[in-house]
Parts: sequence; structure tokens; C-alpha cells
Amino acid sequence: MANAALAESSLVESVISADRWDLRTRLQERDADLMVLQPGRPVELAGPVGFGLTRIGYRMLAELSRTVPVVVLDVRGWASPRAAWESGVQSPIFVRCSDPALWPRVAAALMDGVPAVYAEVPRGVRDQDLRRLAALVRARQTRVAFRPLAGDLPAGVGYLRLRAREVHWEGPDRGHGRLRERRLVLEASGKGVAGRNRTIEVDDAGTHDLRVVSDLAAGPAGRAFG
Amino acid sequence: MAADPLALSAGVVRGMPRREAEGLCPGAMVIVRDLEEEWRRFEPVARMIEEIVPRIEIVEPGSVLVPVDGAVRYYGDEETVVETLAGKLRAAGVEAHIGLADGPFAATWAARTAVDGPLVVADTRSFLAGLDVAVIDHDDLVATFRWLGVTTLGALAELPRDAIASRFGEAGLSAHRLSRGEDRTVAPRRIPVELAVESRWEEPLEQTDQVAFAARGLAVKLVDGLRREGIAPHRIVVEAETDDGEVRSRVWRSSDPFTEDALTDRVRWQLQAWVDERRRSSGGIVRLRLDPSDLSGEGRQLGFFTDESARVEAERALARVQSLVGENGVLEAAAQGGRLPSEMVSWFRWQEVAVQVRDTSAPWPGTTPGPTPSLVSPEPSPLEVEWDEGMPVRIRLGTRWEPVLTWAGPWRMTGSWWRGEQPVDRYQLVTSAGAFLCIVRSGITYLTGIYD
Repeated sequence: MANAALAESSLVESVISADRWDLRTRLQERDADLMVLQPGRPVELAGPVGFGLTRIGYRMLAELSRTVPVVVLDVRGWASPRAAWESGVQSPIFVRCSDPALWPRVAAALMDGVPAVYAEVPRGVRDQDLRRLAALVRARQTRVAFRPLAGDLPAGVGYLRLRAREVHWEGPDRGHGRLRERRLVLEASGKGVAGRNRTIEVDDAGTHDLRVVSDLAAGPAGRAFG
Repeated sequence: MAADPLALSAGVVRGMPRREAEGLCPGAMVIVRDLEEEWRRFEPVARMIEEIVPRIEIVEPGSVLVPVDGAVRYYGDEETVVETLAGKLRAAGVEAHIGLADGPFAATWAARTAVDGPLVVADTRSFLAGLDVAVIDHDDLVATFRWLGVTTLGALAELPRDAIASRFGEAGLSAHRLSRGEDRTVAPRRIPVELAVESRWEEPLEQTDQVAFAARGLAVKLVDGLRREGIAPHRIVVEAETDDGEVRSRVWRSSDPFTEDALTDRVRWQLQAWVDERRRSSGGIVRLRLDPSDLSGEGRQLGFFTDESARVEAERALARVQSLVGENGVLEAAAQGGRLPSEMVSWFRWQEVAVQVRDTSAPWPGTTPGPTPSLVSPEPSPLEVEWDEGMPVRIRLGTRWEPVLTWAGPWRMTGSWWRGEQPVDRYQLVTSAGAFLCIVRSGITYLTGIYD
């Protein structure tokens, strides 16, 4: 009798465990969808430099670059093609423009004709220009990831905002080893997550594709932007 | 790799790998090929030839096909035409190899073998018979011919054509025709008039960006139109009119049908050369016409996995962007060898040819370990780092100091010590605000990359 109860208990635990596993997998798949650029739905990658947002931007271009040309709009002239290749981007084209007065025209020309763009946004671009760009992106159904280098984009521009919160590196140890892998913690907000802020985690193994490894973290519902 | 006479005398051979050439001639300076500059310098030579024989066909900088039928009727005989041409070029200080034969293939090889002066080939087939089979630009085919004991074009020409066709297919047939002096004859299909494209501008084009934009737009329009007809051009006539009414034209030939990129480059270079020439006087270009001829039925096939319409649309957009930010603002990159992330990438202008200065296949011991920083500084910029007995303690990011959580390195790079370069130590510094790749040279720390 006791053995039967124990067996039943194990079975229940295994069913719960399987359900958890299934739920976790589904959540990771759902979060991974946030890493895909959607036509006409700009993504804002917000946060300080060093938190892995450039590589996330590259990752968003990777799949698309197999079938259509993709462009990186580089404001600082620091974008690394090798990092793009490591992220799986094929034959990216780099456009350099650091002048905030010229940048909107360049970005508009790109978003008018190039199917997928990762665009750094320099300091000093007017909000109205960014809103006009967002309208153009929606009209042309372009896939765009904006990476503002100072502050956030104005409301109404991004469909989804991914804000970098934390970065944890593994590998180095006081002179030994080398950088191997990092875990990025991002907060997703905006229309893309139906106004319910969500925290997602991403593993970046450097020379491999990014992997979404989110657990059950979900933030409280907040105001949507856009 | 090509070489100048001094390097050739040191044992350097054209086509030799760079490292081998540097071993033979350590003092040699390696100059990266600049096709645009070559076109610009070659333009005056082309104009000199055109003064004697119009409607020349340019193959590449330094190589021109000149149809001489009309000129022979004018000058009387072939020798006089050739001597007139050679004399004019000689007087201008141009070292030219001139060969005259039936068809472009034989004429090209006559020119290449004409070392001691112009070579006028009377019997093209006999001339070709003595050439090595390697002149056929098809490595696999040449290797098979050699294996079969066919070492000269003469031996190849004696083989029955149907046997060649059944054994080697189209490539073999083409080689067989060349060996018999039956060069590709220009048999143009009837060209619908509307396939030629033309643009006019009220304001003359004088700037590089304007010219580039005009060239691209028109080239794309032309190739698009031809593609719809299922044809592709081997030859293009570029005709431009200047604001004072002068009309210039130039014929471009390519062994493969022109693509948008190839055609754009040629039109752009051509127009740029004309604009540069005009700038010295005044005015610019007000009309441009591209006229296709020598059309082949090699209609362009859409890539199976690629979205051709998206590519064409993107190229137009990038051409517009190029006119805004300049040619150096739209770039592509190729991998090359090196130890620092900034060295391992070769940048080149969009739709130009990649130039790799450092060999990727060579071992590069001491390469900075991966992953690659997503942001790489074009030039190392000084970074304030506080050290304690050789260990990094904190770094200054903007206005704040950030503690170093951990680090990897140093990895020493001695560099070109024989040129007086100081050794550098590389570090990967990890903070709560991200990781950074730094180098320390002569006690000063520089930021070279950010793992963003």
C-alpha cells in the first residue's frame, strides 16, 4: 500500500515536472519570438553600451540576411563586421552617418528600400523625425531595430522596447581564462508584449547564436508606449 | 600580384603569393590595386587611341580592342594603322603591346606575345596553333587536355568537333572554336529601340556623388529592362553629352553579360573620368545614354533562395544613401588575417572589389581570443584604468569610475618589433557595465573594443 502511494506520488511529481518543462519551453519560444523583427513593427533596443544590445540587433538580422539584403546604420563607425558574421548575419552592408541633421534622411532612404535595418540613433535627432520614420517603417513594412545611443525613443516610435537590465560574463578569473559566455537580462515592454512588461534572459556564447533561456520572470503590467 | 621591372628582376613573378614575393624582395612595397584610379589614368590613353580609330572597346584598364576594318580602308593597310597607333602612344610615353589578328582572342594573345614591337598576324590559325593550350581560360579543361596529350591549340584544332562536343560539352566546343580562330562573332539580335535608356538633367552633373547616383540609376534601369526581355548585354555603349553640346561615347565589352553592379562601375568610372576632365575647364554632363548591344540569350535567373526584387530595391536605396553620405559612407567588409579585431577586417566600398591585405589562411599566433567585440574602435582611444601591482582595479567610464569585477590577460603581442613597434599587452576587463578589450602600450591603456 505504501509502495503504491509512493509510486503515485512519483508519477504526480513527474507529471508536474513535465508540465513545468513544457511551460518553460513554451515561454522560451514565446520570448524568442521577441528576437525576431516583424514587418512594420520597429523594435527599440534601449540601454547603455556594453549590455549586449548590438549583438541582439545583429541576431535579429541574421535570419533575414539569408534571403534579403540587410543594412547596419552605424553612427560611431565602431560596428564590427566580425561580430555580425559570428551572429549569423550574411553579407551585411554598413552605412556610416554620424551627423544628426543628415541621419533622418539617410535612415529614411534605407527604410524606404532595404528590407531589414539595424539603425543606431545618434544624439540630437528630433522626435518628429523619428515619428516620421516610424510611420515610413509601418507604411513600407520594413523590419527595423532602433538602437538609440542617448536616452529612449519618443512614444509612438517603437512597437516593442527591449531594455537591457543586466549582463553577467563567465570565463575570466583574475587574469586566467577568457570571456566565454554572458547572460543578458532584458525587459520587454510596449505593444509587442501587449503592455505587460516581461523579463527575458538570453545566453550569448559569443561565437554562436543567441539563445533565449527565460524562466518564468514576468513583470507587472505597466503603461504601454507606442 | 603584379610587379614592376625591379621586382621582376629580383625573381618576383606575376601571380606569386605575396609572402613569397616579400621573401624574394624584402624591400618591396606592396600597393593595393585601385581599379578606379587605374580607370582614371587609362582614360587619356583610350582617348589617344580613339583619335585614330573610333569606337574602341575597353576590356579592362590597360586592355583595349580596336576594330580596324574602317581604319584600314582609310590608312591603306594594316601595318600603317598599327604603326600610326604605336607611334602616337610611344610619343606620349605609353608602353604599349599591340597585336593585330582575326578576332578578340587571337588579337589579345598577339598583343601579349608582341614584346619587340607591334605584331600583325597574317595567318591567325597558324599563330594560334603554336600557343600553349593553357591560354584557354578554363583550368579543368586545360588539365584534361594535357592529360590526353593535347598541349597546343594546334593539336586541339585538329580534333573532330563532334568528339569534342560529346566529351567536353559547351566549354570544350568554345575552346575548340577559339583554337580554330573562329572567335565569337558579334551577331547582335535586333535591339528594340526602347531598351536603350537615357537621362537628361537641366543642371549639369559635376560632382562625384551626382555622377555615381546617375550611373547607378541608369544601369539598374537598363539591366531591369533587358532582364524582362530575357537577354543580357555583352557590350554597352555609354554616350554622354556635355552642357556645351559635346557628345562623347565609349564602348565597354565584357566576356560575361553585364550585371547591374559591373555596368554601374563602368559607367561611373567613365563618367567620373569625363567629369574630372571637364572640371579642369568648365561645365558638366547633361545627358547620359546607355545603349546595349551584342546581346546574349542568357536571361538572368532569379536566385532560388533570394528575393531578387528586394535586392534590386535595396540597391536603389543604397545608391540614394551613397549620394547622401558619399562613397566612403556605404561599406562592405571581408575577413582578413590579423591579431587585433580592428586588423581582422578589410573594409571596402559597397559594390567594389574586396582587397585583403593580410592572408586569412596564414597562422596568426597570438590572435586575440574570441568572442569578437561587437564594437571595435577604428583607432585605439585612451582609457583611464587604475592598476594595483599589475592588476586592474577600476576603469573610468564617462564621469564615473567602475570597479573591475574580473579580467583575463595579459596576452602579449610583440608586433613588428623590427620596425620599432612597441609590444602591447591585451586585457579583457569585466565590469558591471559590460566587458571591454584594452591594450596597454608603454604604460598607457587604450580601449580597442566593447563587448556590446
